[in-house]
Amino acid sequence: MNRELKFESPSLAERIRGMLGVDFYRLFHTPLFYIFLAIAAIIPAMVSAMTMMSGPDGTPTEPLYSNVWQIIAATEPLYVIRTIADYANMNMVFIFGGIMVSIFIGHDYKSGYVKQLFTTHAKKEDYMISKTIVSAFSMASMCISYLIGGTVGGMLSGYETSVNAGSLILAILGKMIMSLGWASLYTFLNVIFRRYFGLSIASSFFFGTGILIIGAAAIVEGLSLPASFLNIFLYGSSVNACLTSNIGTLVICLLVSLAWTLIYNALGSYILYKSDVY
Amino acid sequence: MNAIEIRNLSKSFRGMYAVDHLNMTVPQGAIYGFIGENGSGKSTTMKLICGHLVRDEGEVTLFDREHTDPGVRVRVGALIENAGCFPNSSVYQNLRMQTINLGIENYDEEIRRVLEIVRMEDNADLKFKSCSLGMKQRIGIAMALLGDPALLILDEPINGLDTDGMRIMREILLDITEKYGCTVLISSHILGELEKIATHYGIIRRGKMVMELSAEEMDSRAQVFVSLKTGDMKSALSALSEKYGTVREEDGYIRVYDVADPAEITAFLMERGQAVREIRKNKIGLEEYYIELMSKKEEE
Repeated sequence: MNRELKFESPSLAERIRGMLGVDFYRLFHTPLFYIFLAIAAIIPAMVSAMTMMSGPDGTPTEPLYSNVWQIIAATEPLYVIRTIADYANMNMVFIFGGIMVSIFIGHDYKSGYVKQLFTTHAKKEDYMISKTIVSAFSMASMCISYLIGGTVGGMLSGYETSVNAGSLILAILGKMIMSLGWASLYTFLNVIFRRYFGLSIASSFFFGTGILIIGAAAIVEGLSLPASFLNIFLYGSSVNACLTSNIGTLVICLLVSLAWTLIYNALGSYILYKSDVY
Repeated sequence: MNAIEIRNLSKSFRGMYAVDHLNMTVPQGAIYGFIGENGSGKSTTMKLICGHLVRDEGEVTLFDREHTDPGVRVRVGALIENAGCFPNSSVYQNLRMQTINLGIENYDEEIRRVLEIVRMEDNADLKFKSCSLGMKQRIGIAMALLGDPALLILDEPINGLDTDGMRIMREILLDITEKYGCTVLISSHILGELEKIATHYGIIRRGKMVMELSAEEMDSRAQVFVSLKTGDMKSALSALSEKYGTVREEDGYIRVYDVADPAEITAFLMERGQAVREIRKNKIGLEEYYIELMSKKEEE
């Protein structure tokens, strides 16, 4: 039986809606997202509680932070860390987030579901855009979870609570906005290492630590450029969102995050177009 | 209009052609049996059609449109290698995800419809990982059937199925082509099963299309032969060989090719005092045709 066939090309919005819908359905119907939300809340709570504990001989240890909000963001932009306290703030979400994104995207390939997506979606950018958005949402949610865990843990541990509320809100918003840029980086890394689940996790962890900023900082210093030049990097802008943030910080976060998102999405789509996807 | 038209399609891996300047035509509404030995390029061709692999050269059109056209690709359902389902999600959840992907609004009705087609309406809540191989293959078909596909691409969907599973699969495929007018491109090693449903065949070898033919053409090309048993097989074989062109012994029977009338042979042997114990008219099946064709190609 031959039937009359009509082929209507779906618009970009329709295509993205379909793929995003699947990704969000998966996100909310599997434990992975909730586990990482819990991790994002527990880690800062544990860090703040442990740093206020007494030593084995009962003597109080030197507190890691002087203020509860330093668990969320550093007092000033610290591009190259000196102590663990400089490091242990909301930026850690970008490390957990990287691992979560790798597992999330890795399961697309491990299960073979990605074949269904690429069969029905001829345009490869659909995949990059959808994964970036859902990963950014996950990391932004983890930022909120981290905020709750860190605040509750810090307060229960007895840290100071005084803060410039405006700067704190801008710092949190800045880091949440940076989730988009980080999500695009991790999606891109997972597209590169799509056949190697372990490598995609390892690479996401490596980039998430921001360790490459040390090299960039050395170059910036060598060229006698201002340290704020490091804000062009994802990690730079992420640490720039600190407790002295202003509107300018937020604008920088937005621009840097969007710019890297565009770059990584374009590169990821190019790779998917030019190479075998499964 | 052809459902699939492939011209000069090539794909190589590390300098070796997996698909070598392949031409292929699948008419709309056909069940196209894609046949070839392991590594002949069947799965690679199917993946190229679905856009999973990037072609080196050539053209692929689906329903007269470039295969990269989103409008046509959204109407392609595929089961290649495995169902592509999340093991810890239920059958229903896996199908639900595909309905979201395809933007199907009345999803519950659609999921129930495809589950009914694949005879799995009572297993919607089972976790995918708990399903048997046969069930997983059927879920894969159900996934491919969602959203009214115009073309189904099924890579070895009956492999590993028991007799009953194969029968169910056969009924499903006949159902969906008859009721929904879907074109099916199906590969399988089980040629006997394929023979029961295919309307067209494509035989591929070392990445090249050896032959494309319809089931009717296949039928007319298939050699007729008479198989028989006599009291003295040796002398019967020698007598028949002198009289007829192609005679050979196979599986304990003498086969006389290109003779349509068993009575003629019986009379011939009776004249020579040979008693015929068993005689019947036969036609070589797809499998034998394929084996013979491949041996000829090997000799070339």
